[in-house]
Amino acid sequence: MAQPPSPPPKRNLISKLYHWVVDGLERTVYRGVQYTFPKRFVSPMGYLGMLTGIVFLVLGVTGGLLMIFYQPTLTGCGTLTCAFSSVQRINDVIPYGYLIRNIHYTASNAMVLLAVLHMYYQYFSGRFKIKNEILWVTGIILGVITGVEAYSGYDLIFNQRAGLAIEIGSSLANASPLIGSALRIAIFGSGFTDFILRLYAAHVFILPMIMILLVFIHFPRYLVFDLPVISAVVGGILIIAGIFPVQLSTPYSPSNPTLTIPEWYLTGIYALLRTEYDKFVMGGLMPALLFLMALVIPFVDTSKKLNWKDRPFFTALGITSIAQILVTTAWGFYINPNLSLPTLSRLLVPPADYFASMIGITLVCFVMTYAFLGYIKSRERVRKAAGPLGPILSRSWVYVIFVLLIVAQIALDFLAVVAYSGGFYSMTLFDSGSVLVTFGVIAHLYRYGQNLPF
Amino acid sequence: MLSFVPWGKFLSASLIGSGKLIDQKVVIDANPVYGPAAGATVNVNDMTTFPPNSHWVITYPSSGNSTQDFENPDTFVKFELIRLPADLGGNAASASAFVAFSKVCVHLWCSPNYGGSQNQNPPVNREDYECPCHGSIYEVPDGKAKAGPASEQPPPDNAIPMLTLQAGSDGTLYIKAPQSGTLTDIQQNGIIGVGRVESGMDNKVTDPTNPLYSSYYQFILPTAKQTYQASETTTG
Repeated sequence: MAQPPSPPPKRNLISKLYHWVVDGLERTVYRGVQYTFPKRFVSPMGYLGMLTGIVFLVLGVTGGLLMIFYQPTLTGCGTLTCAFSSVQRINDVIPYGYLIRNIHYTASNAMVLLAVLHMYYQYFSGRFKIKNEILWVTGIILGVITGVEAYSGYDLIFNQRAGLAIEIGSSLANASPLIGSALRIAIFGSGFTDFILRLYAAHVFILPMIMILLVFIHFPRYLVFDLPVISAVVGGILIIAGIFPVQLSTPYSPSNPTLTIPEWYLTGIYALLRTEYDKFVMGGLMPALLFLMALVIPFVDTSKKLNWKDRPFFTALGITSIAQILVTTAWGFYINPNLSLPTLSRLLVPPADYFASMIGITLVCFVMTYAFLGYIKSRERVRKAAGPLGPILSRSWVYVIFVLLIVAQIALDFLAVVAYSGGFYSMTLFDSGSVLVTFGVIAHLYRYGQNLPF
Repeated sequence: MLSFVPWGKFLSASLIGSGKLIDQKVVIDANPVYGPAAGATVNVNDMTTFPPNSHWVITYPSSGNSTQDFENPDTFVKFELIRLPADLGGNAASASAFVAFSKVCVHLWCSPNYGGSQNQNPPVNREDYECPCHGSIYEVPDGKAKAGPASEQPPPDNAIPMLTLQAGSDGTLYIKAPQSGTLTDIQQNGIIGVGRVESGMDNKVTDPTNPLYSSYYQFILPTAKQTYQASETTTG
């Protein structure tokens, strides 16, 4: 029996406009991508790359706002350098400057972290293989540029840590054989007169442009937009920014003799340099070796097996790299607190201990991975598949929690405004983050309620 | 090697400035932590303002204004003026009681300090010139790296550049301008951020008859080679 044709849906003006715009995008790149808006919770591990992209957008927006007040010069602003005093002004004087700067800083850390997690998930799940080699290679390059972007960003503040990072970065570039001095001058300029403008140009234009161009290659054709998780991640960034607000620190001065540890994503290189071997080998070649190993992985691991349990060697290799990076990073943070010792013995990372521990970590990781994989293989034969979980909440409870969450959100909004007017800016960040997380929970509850069978 | 294109000059501004360096009075940067020494002109006879076993930051070439000099963060024009401890001759009322080391470590360009990670005068315990980043230690008074990563580097990358000091008849301390007019002579005051050839030091790699010489200067230190050759032609 033929169904009678359903009447065309009634469209109001907004709906008509929406469909006109969407239909107009037919021939653009945006319709070449297949978007998925999950109807139920899916693990964010699969779309960490999309979350990295969202954080990149947050960084773009907050960074653009910071550009309005930041001055990328050193002289002409009185006792302090223009770079430092303009950041100080953003932090202390400009309305909402404190919030924007803290969001930008925490989001930059979140982006580095998410990019690394994204890479490792793709690695262990085997998704980088078989026709995805180009995605993997561009992803590794994007990851390195993300690191350089973060480095150039924290240099712009020109506090003590930034000044030392610039000096070490430029002298490392200078130490490269053959092209060293040319490379250093091209990146940093000739000394203090022009480096900050160069780093600024790289940070706000050159590197983001390269990233955007690479992202067009890196995008797969399927994108998962999970609104609850996106708002939870952005809210989490605001909450962390509120709890751990970034310090201005002291302005850079060559006569300041304090020990300064770099940002967490550079402490690994810091530890390597403190082994006292040649600076170019430890600061340049060792990180480059890691980068090259990551680049060639899809051309070495060419088996058709995707699951990490079926690729014991590469699983062990990945776990080894995680353990080595963690230990090296932690070692970079450790400085003997005994001030009466010479600085050298406080700072020295004994090379014999360091490389012995790296070899030990490799052995332990390989042995444990093979043993663990053998164990779970034997378990898999007897394990039964667990049945799907039934609904936890009934519809009436969903309504109750929905109302409670909306009330909580209104209260948090109110608190954020009160905190801002009282000068408690970190509290405002924390409350705004909580509002976003609450919104994520509300959005999740909404789709949960829609899927309930009763 | 790659000399057909001026690679090293790509979009570059001048590192040290175009002017020729001249003799200059030693004036301490007006850093408030220095107390009475801040902004003062150094006199070798003044043992109360400039006591032995003490250190201050000076600027060369100076802007002529010690406050402006203090506000200038450019480490490439900063030097650490040290009045030596008594056992090294710091009590002498002459220029030999002082040394002025570059504030740019020849390892990775951080700023070393006299007496370790301490700002006070006199420093507690230690009388070395130490870098707070990676721990290079330079011998006082000759500025040769004796421990840490800088000491592991081949010459001339293992001695810190230093200024030539001279006292006037009234005791005022002067910086004597380098013969070439710039701080780019590896054998005299040294090249800032690169190093210095210390007399009596193991000069194997800087000896042109050494087979290592050409590869070292072509691959490791192309800039130093140019200036080294330039100083050879001007002096001899």
